[in-house]
Amino acid sequence: MFKHLFTLIWNKKKRNLLMLAEMLISFLVIFALFTLVVFYYTNYRKPLGFEYENVWVVSFSNPPNTNNMDSVKLMYDGLKQSLKSLPETREISFCSGNIPFYNNQWETSARYNGKNVNHVNIYTVDDNYKNLMKLQLLEGRWFERGDEIFKDRPVIINESLKKEFFGNESPIGKYLGDILGGNRTKIIGVVGSVKARGDYTMPGLGMYQQIDTGSYRWLDRMMVKVSPRADAAFEGHLYKTLASVLKNSNIEIEHLVDKRRTINYFTLVPMIVSLIVAIFLIINVALGLFGVLWYNINKRKGEIGIRRAIGASGKSVSVQLVSESMILATLSLIIGTFFAMQFPLLNVFDLPTSVYITAIVLSIIFIYLLVFICSLYPGKQAASIYPAVALHEE
Amino acid sequence: MLKNYFKIAVAVLKRRKFFTFISLFGISFTLTILMVLTAFIQNVIGNDYPDKKRDRSLYISTIEQKGKNAMSSGALSYYFLNKYAATLKSPEKVTIFSGANSTNTYVNNKKISIDYKYVDANYWSVLDYDFLEGKPFDARQIENGEHVAVISEGIKKQYFGDDPSVVGKYIEADNVQYRVSGVVKDVPVTTYMLYSEIYIPYTVSKTDYRNKNYGGGYVAILLGASKADLQKMHDEYEDVIKRVPPENKDFENVYSHAYGYIRSYVNTGNEENSGLTYAITAIAIFALIVMLLPTINLINVNVTRIMERSSEIGVRKAFGASSQTLVYQFIVENLILTLIGGLIGVLLSYIVIQILNSADLIPNFKMSLNFTVLVLALFICLFFGLISGVYPAWRMSKLDVVTALKEQ
Repeated sequence: MFKHLFTLIWNKKKRNLLMLAEMLISFLVIFALFTLVVFYYTNYRKPLGFEYENVWVVSFSNPPNTNNMDSVKLMYDGLKQSLKSLPETREISFCSGNIPFYNNQWETSARYNGKNVNHVNIYTVDDNYKNLMKLQLLEGRWFERGDEIFKDRPVIINESLKKEFFGNESPIGKYLGDILGGNRTKIIGVVGSVKARGDYTMPGLGMYQQIDTGSYRWLDRMMVKVSPRADAAFEGHLYKTLASVLKNSNIEIEHLVDKRRTINYFTLVPMIVSLIVAIFLIINVALGLFGVLWYNINKRKGEIGIRRAIGASGKSVSVQLVSESMILATLSLIIGTFFAMQFPLLNVFDLPTSVYITAIVLSIIFIYLLVFICSLYPGKQAASIYPAVALHEE
Repeated sequence: MLKNYFKIAVAVLKRRKFFTFISLFGISFTLTILMVLTAFIQNVIGNDYPDKKRDRSLYISTIEQKGKNAMSSGALSYYFLNKYAATLKSPEKVTIFSGANSTNTYVNNKKISIDYKYVDANYWSVLDYDFLEGKPFDARQIENGEHVAVISEGIKKQYFGDDPSVVGKYIEADNVQYRVSGVVKDVPVTTYMLYSEIYIPYTVSKTDYRNKNYGGGYVAILLGASKADLQKMHDEYEDVIKRVPPENKDFENVYSHAYGYIRSYVNTGNEENSGLTYAITAIAIFALIVMLLPTINLINVNVTRIMERSSEIGVRKAFGASSQTLVYQFIVENLILTLIGGLIGVLLSYIVIQILNSADLIPNFKMSLNFTVLVLALFICLFFGLISGVYPAWRMSKLDVVTALKEQ
């Protein structure tokens, strides 16, 4: 039967070629869209890895222009103390500018056992950071006072980086080479990964190093965890306290809650726009397919009439017409899948293979459904053709 | 003859309403997407408030330094621009100003986030801000380091409420009191080089503007006396930059350019990859995807419609119409169809733009359909009509008279 249907399709190859092209391109568009949706959705399901509520970020320009870093440290310690004594502050931590939900990225490459990994986010933080962010400690320990004196600087890596280098082994006490061109570093702990660039992004590779006196030269961020009662009046008070200590700085306070909304917005808006465009494209294609199939059946009244006259049931006629379009769809899907498979094989966009595979499967199902629905009504109509009427027209 | 074609086209359109609907739907919706996209781009880069003299201005927005193992790129320092750009001979005027930074202020237990920008005296004459009240601060006030500010309409409303006149009053930003010298119309954030909510003299900047680093937060505009000066200014600046020594021994080359508005708008600060190439490629790919499917769909529907008209074609051929005439007729018919679709598309995009504007997604940014967008729409329609008409017309002209007539 399939052979026969192929012959029928082949006889009309010019017409069918256009339909094939249309289905193929729809498949590719849908594949691109599903890849995006699947990717965002799988990321969305993963835990964020930290708490952002009631965390305020203070940015201040102009780190002190002096070479005496010890006096700067004293000043910052004093600032911390006076902020701590405010009624609504809970935790305070200095950190590098690559705070989650901010667009700043600081990356380095890490090496272990001859294996090099690029794009590792490096966070420079102080001892309170873990408690402030509620990071999850999985193995080992967090930084302590006095860690900065070791010759091999202690670092804490996140779960993704641990998987990359060590698999299921424990990395505690092992050494990473060449971080930021410096000495080797000793791993003292593993924390859960964080989705630093919003709810819809992959938790990246990351490692944490402790702030040392040298960092005060460029340090310009501070996080403050406040109690839920903290309001704008308190923020104004906090602002004045900061401004009285950091006299030469421009100061800005932002809330992580707002930053999260913004960064998610920048991921979602392009996605929603492409979704709307894709829906319109698909409606367009569906209407086109429907129209063409419907017309084809009117053209083939004679042929269908003869089939009915020699005993084919209405059902078998509509099955034939629907299967013809499904075979056409299969052909286009084979070609389409071939192209789509190149993405995971060549690793074009650095997405996990599973995302592509899910997207391909979903797109195949989608196109089959689309073609099936579009050919269902024309097929049904064909089934209702009376042989006498159809043959009389000839 | 065209009138006849038109009549035939309308008759055909009326005959199979479903097919007409499919064609019109495809054309109008594709056009809507493309028109909204162009209106957006047009309003982002074509909005000439406040730089009305854009056609004779060049923008210096980045400096890049490169060495074997080091690379640094970003906005420039006041020192650098003052030394190398402000001293150029060919521009009529040069203004140096910083990008917008944010800070907070707190009034009546309410937090206001304010974007501020440091500017020099020439800023107000190179750019044409609409002053709603007051006036800009002048060179003397800047030299004296007075704490004065020009504020935007939006921030006036937020900070002072419905106060009718605020000139002479004080606004606190970043823990400093500034005396309001004037109020200007808002600039949308999409005009990011010039956008700000308060403008203050660069001399009161907390960062030392005399700092001798090359990198900093400043950019410059070179204003020529006429359009003809653009090339001269560009060449002079290139010449000057060629002789600038690298900042330190990590670097070997210094790059910085004075570009026109669009080129500097998308400048990524990377010498090898111009932002313009990225932007154009991205837009082209998007437009291609959006247009490809509807075009194939239209070809498909058109082929079907022509086959339906085989008897008419057969008769015309039998009476001596040449293939050329038939092809011509069909393409004209198709163009009429696409133009009708285009008209609907213009209507739809007008509605979509109104909806987007009322949603106020980007503050102070209003899209509008203008002449450029409409002309572009017409071109897209013609392109659509031709592409989707040629292949079916060619198929039609090859139709054999005998078969065509027999089929009835």
